[in-house]
Amino acid sequence: MTIKRRKAATQGALIAIGLGVAASASAGEFDGVTLTIATWGGTWKSNIEEVIVPKFEAMGGKVEFVTGSPQANLAKLIAARGRAPFDVMEVLDAQEKDFFTTGDFIQNVDLSKIPNAEGLDDWQRNESRVASWNTQETICYDKGKFAELGLEPPTTYTDLINEKLAGRISIPDITSGGGLANFGAFAYAAGGDETNVQPALDLINKLDALKFWSRGGEVITQFQSGDVYAAIVHAGWCTRAKNAGANVTTAHPKINDEHTGVNKYGWLVIMKSSENTDAANWYINEYLDPEFQLRLATKAGVVPVNKEAIARLEEDPVLAEMLVLDPAKLDTQLRIDYSKADIASWNDQWNRAVTK
Amino acid sequence: MSYSPTNATDLVQRRNSPPPRMGFPWGRLFHYVYCSLSYIFLLAPMVVVVGASLHGGEFYTAIRFPPVEPSLRWYGEIPSSQFEALGLSFLLAGGAALGACVIGIPAALGIVRARLPGRTFISSVFRAPLQIPSIVTGIAFLQLYYLFGDATGLYFQGTFLGLYLGHLFVATPYVIGTVTAILQRFDSRLEEAALSLGASRWSTFRRVTLPVIMPGVYAGALYAFMVSFGDVPISIFLTAPGFVTYPVELFYGMENDFNPSILASASLVIFFCLLVLLGMQKLVGLDNLLRSGSR
Repeated sequence: MTIKRRKAATQGALIAIGLGVAASASAGEFDGVTLTIATWGGTWKSNIEEVIVPKFEAMGGKVEFVTGSPQANLAKLIAARGRAPFDVMEVLDAQEKDFFTTGDFIQNVDLSKIPNAEGLDDWQRNESRVASWNTQETICYDKGKFAELGLEPPTTYTDLINEKLAGRISIPDITSGGGLANFGAFAYAAGGDETNVQPALDLINKLDALKFWSRGGEVITQFQSGDVYAAIVHAGWCTRAKNAGANVTTAHPKINDEHTGVNKYGWLVIMKSSENTDAANWYINEYLDPEFQLRLATKAGVVPVNKEAIARLEEDPVLAEMLVLDPAKLDTQLRIDYSKADIASWNDQWNRAVTK
Repeated sequence: MSYSPTNATDLVQRRNSPPPRMGFPWGRLFHYVYCSLSYIFLLAPMVVVVGASLHGGEFYTAIRFPPVEPSLRWYGEIPSSQFEALGLSFLLAGGAALGACVIGIPAALGIVRARLPGRTFISSVFRAPLQIPSIVTGIAFLQLYYLFGDATGLYFQGTFLGLYLGHLFVATPYVIGTVTAILQRFDSRLEEAALSLGASRWSTFRRVTLPVIMPGVYAGALYAFMVSFGDVPISIFLTAPGFVTYPVELFYGMENDFNPSILASASLVIFFCLLVLLGMQKLVGLDNLLRSGSR
C-alpha cells in the first residue's frame, strides 16, 4: 500500500513537473513580444482587453491598441506608406479593393496556426484574411407603432414607402459603418447591382426619410424619443434599442428571389510590415474562439462566424428573435461583392442624388 | 442745483401728480429674451451632458436626459485610460499654448514692425495653419515624419514631440493674431519715451511693450490651449498606442458604441474648466485682463 502510494506520489510529481515544464514553455512563448492591434475603441476594445489580452500576457507578451475605425486606420496606413504601426487590423468587407485587390498592405495568414478557422466556410478564410464577425443589416421597426398605424410588419424595403411612415424612417448615411452594405442591398432590391446603383437611389428617394444616421447609437435615441418608426440598421443596434426599452424588432428584408437579409463582414488581416507573425496568428485564433465570439456577439451586437458560438446564441431569447441563426437561412443573406463596386462612384452618386 | 421755494413746490407737485406715462419697455424685454436664449444655447449642451451623466440604473446605450434614478454610479466607472488621456491633453495643450507664445510674440512684432519685403505674404503664411483642414494637417505631419525619419533615422510619429509639433502648428496663429491686433493699436511713443529715458531695448520691451500686449498674449494662449485641448483630426494621426489624447479617447470610445462613463468624465472636465476660469477670475480678473486689450 505504502509502495503504491509512493509510486502514485512519484507519478503525480512527474506529471506535475511535466505539466509545469509545458506550462512554462507555453508561458514564455511570447516573451518580449508586443503585439499591436488596430481595432475600434470603447467596449469593443474592452472585450479584447478582458478576454484575449490576459491570455497573451500570461504567455509573456504585451498587447497594445491603435484604436480607430478601419477607415481611419487605412488612412494611417496610407499616410505611413504601408508601414503599419500595428500588426493585426480589423478590416471591413467594403475595403476589399484597398486591401485585397489593389492594396499591398498585408501578408499571408498561416491557417495551420489558426485551428479555430477550420470550422469556417471556405469563403470565410483564405491565405490573406480570416472572417471575424458579421452583422445582419435589418429593418428595425417599432412593433407598437406599426400595429397602431394598421401596418403589417415590413418584409421588403418597399414596404416602407407609405405615407403613414413619412418622415419616420432612418437610413444609414453612406459614410456610416453599414452605409455601403445597405446601399448595395437597396440596389439589389430595386433591380440593380454593384455596378448599377441608380435603382437604389431611386428607391431611397421614394422613402421619406427623417434622417440619414451616421452612428448606430443615434437610432436608439430616435426610437426612444419616438422620432422614428423604422430604421435600416444592423440587428445589434436594434437589440440595443430593445434592451433600452424601445418596442422594436427586426425584419430581415427580402432582397430578391435568391436573397433574404443582408450581411456585412469583418475580417482580420496581418500587416505586411509585422514581424510578430506567430503572435498575430495566435491572436486571430483566439479571436475565433467560441467563448470570445459569443462575448463579442452579446456585448457588441455582432454575429459570430464560429458555428458553435452561433448555435449557442439560440439560447438567448432576444438574440434568437433578432438574428437569423439557421445556417440554411444564413446562406441566403446577401453579401455585396465589393470587388465589382466602384465605391468612389457610389459616394459621388449618393451625394448628387440623396443629399441634394 | 440750489434750493429755493419754487423748486420745493415743483417737487411737491411732481410727487402728487401721476407718474409720467411710459411705453412698454419692448427694448428691455427683447434684451432679456435675447440674452436668455443666448445663454440657453450656450449652456444647454453642458446641462444635458452633466444631467445625463447622473442617470443611474443599468448600462444604457443612448443619452438619457433628464436622468432617472440619479446617482454617481458612472463617475466610479470612468476607465483609467480616460484619466491618462486627460493628463496627456492638459500637458500637451499647456505646452502648445506656451510654445505658441514663444513663437507668436516675436512673429507678431516682426509682422507689425519690421520693414520686410513681402510682409503681407509672411503674415499670410503665419495664418495658413488656420486655413488648412486639420485632417490634412494630421496626414501631412505623419507623412513628413516618415520622410524625415527615412532621411535621418529620427522618427517622430507616435512620440510626444511629434504630437506636440502638430498642435503647436495650429495653435501659434491664434497668439500671432491676438498680439498683432494689439500691436497695431500700440502707441509707439511709450517705447520712445522709455528709450529716451535711458532704458535698454530689452528693458523697454519687458517693462513697456510686454505689459501692454499681455492681454493679447493671454487671449491668444487661451485660444491656443482650447484648440489643442479639443483637437481630434490631427491627434488621430499622430497619437500612438497608450498615448492618446482625451478627445480622441472619447471619440473612439463613442464611435462604435456608447459608454455612459464618457458623460461622467466629460462632466468632470466641464467642472474643472469652470473652476479654473473662476479661479483665474478671482485671482487675476480674467474679464478685466481680456478687456484691457481694447483700452
